[in-house]
Amino acid sequence: MSGRASAPACHGGGDLEKKQIVAAARSAILVGNPNVGKSVLFGALTGRYVTVSNYPGTTVEVTRGSATIGGAPWHVLDTPGTNNLLPMSEDEQVTRDILLSERNYVCVQVGDAKNLRRVLLLTGQLAEAEVPLVLALNMADEAESRGIVVDDRVLGEQLGIDVVPTVAVERRGLSTLQARLPEARPSPWRPRYDDHVEAALAQVEPLLPAGGIGRRALAVMALVGDESIRAHLTARVAEADLRRIDEVRRELAARYPESLRFVLARQRLAAVDRLHDAVTRRKGASAASGAGRRLAALSTHPLWGIPFLAAVLYVAYQFVGVLGAGTMVDFLETTVFGEYVVPWVTGAVRAITPSGAFQEFLVGPPGVPVEEHGGILIGKYGLVSMGLAYGVAIVLPIVTTFFIAFSILEDSGYLPRLAVMVNKLFKRMGLNGKAVLPMVLGLGCDTMATMTARIMETRKERVIVTLLLALAVPCSAQLAVILAMTAGLSLTANLFFVGTLALVLFLVGWLAAKVLPGRGSDFVLELPPLRVPQAGNILVKTTSRIEWYLREALPLFLVGTLLLWVLDRFGGLAILEHLMSPVVVGLLDLPKEAASAFILGFLRRDYAAAGLFQHFEGPLRAGTMTWAMEVQVTVALVTITLFIPCIANFFMILKERGWRTGLAMAAFILPFAFGVGAAVNQVMRLIG
Amino acid sequence: MSAVVARKEQCPLCGFAFDAEGQGCRPSCPMARGCRVVCCPSCGYSFPQEGGVALGLRKMIDRLKRRGESAA
Repeated sequence: MSGRASAPACHGGGDLEKKQIVAAARSAILVGNPNVGKSVLFGALTGRYVTVSNYPGTTVEVTRGSATIGGAPWHVLDTPGTNNLLPMSEDEQVTRDILLSERNYVCVQVGDAKNLRRVLLLTGQLAEAEVPLVLALNMADEAESRGIVVDDRVLGEQLGIDVVPTVAVERRGLSTLQARLPEARPSPWRPRYDDHVEAALAQVEPLLPAGGIGRRALAVMALVGDESIRAHLTARVAEADLRRIDEVRRELAARYPESLRFVLARQRLAAVDRLHDAVTRRKGASAASGAGRRLAALSTHPLWGIPFLAAVLYVAYQFVGVLGAGTMVDFLETTVFGEYVVPWVTGAVRAITPSGAFQEFLVGPPGVPVEEHGGILIGKYGLVSMGLAYGVAIVLPIVTTFFIAFSILEDSGYLPRLAVMVNKLFKRMGLNGKAVLPMVLGLGCDTMATMTARIMETRKERVIVTLLLALAVPCSAQLAVILAMTAGLSLTANLFFVGTLALVLFLVGWLAAKVLPGRGSDFVLELPPLRVPQAGNILVKTTSRIEWYLREALPLFLVGTLLLWVLDRFGGLAILEHLMSPVVVGLLDLPKEAASAFILGFLRRDYAAAGLFQHFEGPLRAGTMTWAMEVQVTVALVTITLFIPCIANFFMILKERGWRTGLAMAAFILPFAFGVGAAVNQVMRLIG
Repeated sequence: MSAVVARKEQCPLCGFAFDAEGQGCRPSCPMARGCRVVCCPSCGYSFPQEGGVALGLRKMIDRLKRRGESAA
């Protein structure tokens, strides 16, 4: 946890606290990644005498307390969780600033023994900062139960500091940690960078002031262009020296295609990986096999990673698009619903209700085909024959196969590698690298992903990511129906669809990045080992996602169908279709019934896609699609995909980005979607 | 209100282990009520927390595993 500590604040004894804290001769600062049990350890060290206050100039809380260690009074400070001394957030900046401004302290790094690589990334930076350091490897029991064995003796020798395994919640290791604190010393271990970086550091270090943080760490911050350290340096470094630092930074940056922050992080990670591998082993499981390691390397290789990615996508397409959307949908829709559910519900209703108006209201008049009457349960817009059939017979089998494929990717460890591969591609497209994560998540659910856009550093980045998610990233349910439809299209039509979306994503993202002011940031993601997926895990994860889908989507499908039924019954649908026909029929050359798909697409985009799927299902399955039909399907899919997001996503945009930005996005997306659809229609017809 | 259960979770994307309390769907989402989606504090990845049938399946699989291990 961060410094928004769960440790209780004692408001009653302020004077006592002050006296105790002021009397303390030495200070210990607790630093660590978020969620590593830092606050629990702080509570165990300090007991009840704590104060919680905002760090000056921020809303970030830090907790201070007193402890008696080795018979002497100590002042203990709990900092907000951080992954980096090169801050990416206000919390991280506060932690770095505390280390920078405090004097004569001992730093206690609290780390999660289960996530040693992440711990060591921060240890490397604390070593560079030359602060007296003790490493508390917390949650040692959980690491052990997972078969992770960390050789803390060897790790201590390599780092040149004391490493103490702890279980803070049980106070295990606490006395050893307290005994080691007075002997804390700076770690001589350093992540080694390449010759160019080391040479630049050697030039910059002598120009920097000594302080709470060592010169090497300050030099790293200055070289990566950390703006948050600028004020500190400006106040302490001569102007000529600042200019020299900028000059060295520019010369070094010119040597790499990536940002210096990324370059240094990558090299630091490589050093940490070597240390990690030397001190960690897994009980009962050998290290990844040679073939496994080669496969893992191949999956993120700049060149070979692309055919690897293509092969993964092809297999996923065969599984979702052909098996899920073809075989399973056909069985559920035609056999289960067509031959059993619809006739059974019809028969049951006719059996238990008296014949007449009420029965017709529920299941239509006897002898009339389902598609030609307006029964509320069974009918053209019936809750069972349409709402339930869309949700259960069309979308469910497709999202199920999609979720299975997604869980396999997730459990195999390939998903983060996919993010890395797409990250590289996105960076070439002028997009921020970190944006990859919400984009990948958007393929699951755009609403969830819009919320995740908070991880972006600047407002500019958050706006771009939100816009692209709303515009061109189809969610899992919609993607699944799209796959089902594109499976029946020719290669040319498929290329038109994919090409249009890719072009829109690239152009809108690139233009927005150019137009909006601000800076980008880097994408650093820890890659777990590539492993064989566990059948049990896939089963549980898929079930969990299906439950979530059914709870969220199915009620909206029924509400949408009810809305359609009401509109149809009272003539509203005909009016809307008439009103939209200049655009739907005139501009897009689509059948006028497609208007209802667009209207309800606002409720859920996959609902609209499912409607289109059903409209073209016959020729798609029979393989009798003409070019004109293919144009209609492609235009409809492009327009629906680019169309204004579903209602949940739209509300999330309003809430997260504000009414003005949200409405501006909607005002842009609506005409843009129809405009692009019309352009695709014209170009495809020209070619045909 | 989010329906996330306070327990240890491990991010399927980055492997980070964290306490799910306070990591649920934000109330800004119009469908946050009853939502079991949790957000990894480390990388931001979101995933639905196992519950209901999925949790039952997980328990059953764990039980079968333990039985298999003790038999071996």
